[in-house]
Amino acid sequence: MSRKWLIDNQGLFFMAPAMILFVVFVLYPIFYIFNASMYDWDGINEAIYVGVQNYIEMFTDDRAFALSIRNSIYWTLLTIFPQMILGFILAYILTSNIPFQNVFRIIFFMPAIVSPVVLGIIWQRIYAPFGGLLADLGREIGAMFLIQPYIADPKIAIFSTIFVNVWQWTGFSMLMYVAGLQGLSQEVLSAAEVDGAGTRQRIQFIILPMLRHVHLTLILLGVIGTLQTFALVFMLTKGGPNHATEMLPTYIFQKAFTLQSMGYASAVAVVLLVIALSASIFQVRVLGSRFTIGN
Amino acid sequence: MYKKFLLVICLLLILTMSVSVFAQDQVTIRFRSWSPVINTTLAMIEAFNEDNPNITIEPDITNYPEYLVDLQTMASADALPDLVGLQPGALTQQYREHLMPMQDCAVATWGEDWQDQFYPIGIEQARLGNPEGDDNIYGLPVLTHTINMWYTVPVFEEAGVEGPPTTYDELKELADMFNSMGVAPVMIGATDGWIRRDIYMQLIHNIAPGLIYEAEDGNASFTEEPFVEAMTWWKRFFDDGIFQIGALGMTHYPAAVEQIQGGRAAMFPMGAWWQQQAANPNPPPLDQNIQGYAPFLFPDVTGEGQPTDLLGGIDVMMGVSRNTAHPEEACKVITDWISGAGAQALINTYNDLPAYIGLEPEYFGSERQKGIWELFTKEWLPTVKYARELKNSDVKQALENALAGVAAGEMTPAEGMQLLEDARDASM
Repeated sequence: MSRKWLIDNQGLFFMAPAMILFVVFVLYPIFYIFNASMYDWDGINEAIYVGVQNYIEMFTDDRAFALSIRNSIYWTLLTIFPQMILGFILAYILTSNIPFQNVFRIIFFMPAIVSPVVLGIIWQRIYAPFGGLLADLGREIGAMFLIQPYIADPKIAIFSTIFVNVWQWTGFSMLMYVAGLQGLSQEVLSAAEVDGAGTRQRIQFIILPMLRHVHLTLILLGVIGTLQTFALVFMLTKGGPNHATEMLPTYIFQKAFTLQSMGYASAVAVVLLVIALSASIFQVRVLGSRFTIGN
Repeated sequence: MYKKFLLVICLLLILTMSVSVFAQDQVTIRFRSWSPVINTTLAMIEAFNEDNPNITIEPDITNYPEYLVDLQTMASADALPDLVGLQPGALTQQYREHLMPMQDCAVATWGEDWQDQFYPIGIEQARLGNPEGDDNIYGLPVLTHTINMWYTVPVFEEAGVEGPPTTYDELKELADMFNSMGVAPVMIGATDGWIRRDIYMQLIHNIAPGLIYEAEDGNASFTEEPFVEAMTWWKRFFDDGIFQIGALGMTHYPAAVEQIQGGRAAMFPMGAWWQQQAANPNPPPLDQNIQGYAPFLFPDVTGEGQPTDLLGGIDVMMGVSRNTAHPEEACKVITDWISGAGAQALINTYNDLPAYIGLEPEYFGSERQKGIWELFTKEWLPTVKYARELKNSDVKQALENALAGVAAGEMTPAEGMQLLEDARDASM
């Protein structure tokens, strides 16, 4: 190895620490999980090679997996966009000249800093049709329609869970929009006002397009959040009843550590990885990564 | 100067050697489990250490679901701690390869007739699920239990009800009354699979005692009429308002228990372990000396009377890692916790019923509490013939899934039982 070669390739040495960490903590686990997905393995005893059998079973005969995919789609659509709309409305109001703006901002943002584990426990007590806050309130004021099996009925459990997530993260969307609104050029807004644009026109044709970077950031974070959803669902419903609120991460956990099917759980994890990669590529290619906040 | 230096070095060497010799006598045993709870475990350790100061026990107690994750992670790294908490059947069988046979330890401690000193069901279930020809015992029973029902005495008194129901018709009549009073007739946290399974096991035990174990072994079909009938009854408990509204969305621990302790449940499924409520720090009024509750048998749904025996068996057993460096000390700890000073400390908390015959708490808060203890240990536990647990983890999981699906109205009882049949066939 000549001195010249070392000088010419010195960049490799600077890259080496990061590359080593990447290989050990990212690439190796991915290959390990992919390999494990080809086995019938309980994580303890000897593994039996089954080829793609886990994948075949997953896509042809696994209701829980199908439900977790369905729920991920629901989650993506019903959390990201409502959070953005509500967050924008709150941000718009709170950047107008209303009193106690900062107090309201803190109140609306507060749920976002509470652990999902704590929220899961709290909302379980709010939703409980027997002894829960809503049920007891309903009994007190005679509003019996409030007494519902919110997280016990498979038909509505996923929506009740999504509601909690929207409630938690709307404050975060609001904060992002507040930052975006405060960064807008006042000259453009004033010019529009001088040109006779009303409130609706200013929002529709000036403010919303100029906040594109905030929208994209929220979508990006929303998709990542959806694919990582675990703690809230696990604490609130454990993925039930009968997998009605199952998400891919909760299903992986259940398969791996409750049912001891480590091989099958690995196969589901590979599918999750493929979905996450596809979403990232779509985001970068179609929506563009240049316009996220900070750029 | 040189001589002084040499002297100091020699003294230091002697000191170091004596410390290491002393340290060799001090043995550390690592213990992980979900039960007994940490305060009880610490009391057991303290009692054990009074006579065994040279053994340090490092406990790590977590909730059951987290413990299973912990156990699996450690076993896959071939790094089980010296002592582990186990349940008979599926859990013990899963880790059998990592566990040491315990019968030599038992003989050395209690003699050749050691099995006679335990409740028979404990010994029988310790081998649950062993492969044909394997008579080893991979975990020694520490605590046993029965599963049954409890009612809340003040709620019954307030409603003017004299005693618990013995038939389904009586149960239904009470349920209608308690529902109209805003009290949960039977409080159940059916989000938890184990409590769903406990109810089904009592139903099938009422309808066809012993049949489920035959089906598990492949000698009967899960789609036979008695199984479907038991599943139909399970669904009916929801439809008839026997269970409180929203039962499927509530955990048994802690959500349902909080309601029970608050006096908002007339009846609830639990086991002998419910007595431990009396030993909690600052217990609510109903829990004090277990004065607010009374146990009763699961009501008969067949019209032919309740079974004379209960389901139950081992609650907690303990095993020793095959890789432990201190098998003798580990044996000493386990056997003390079963029949020695540690066991007495354990039983004093009413944590559950002992596996070892003759142990009883040193103190009862009332004659009534003592009466409940004696009902369990002298009348109910000796009748236990069938296990609460299933030995096949796939069938067990399929049963929990089927119960959730049927209760949610997403599958029929027959479809639910087909899940068990499929799971059993796939695992054989």
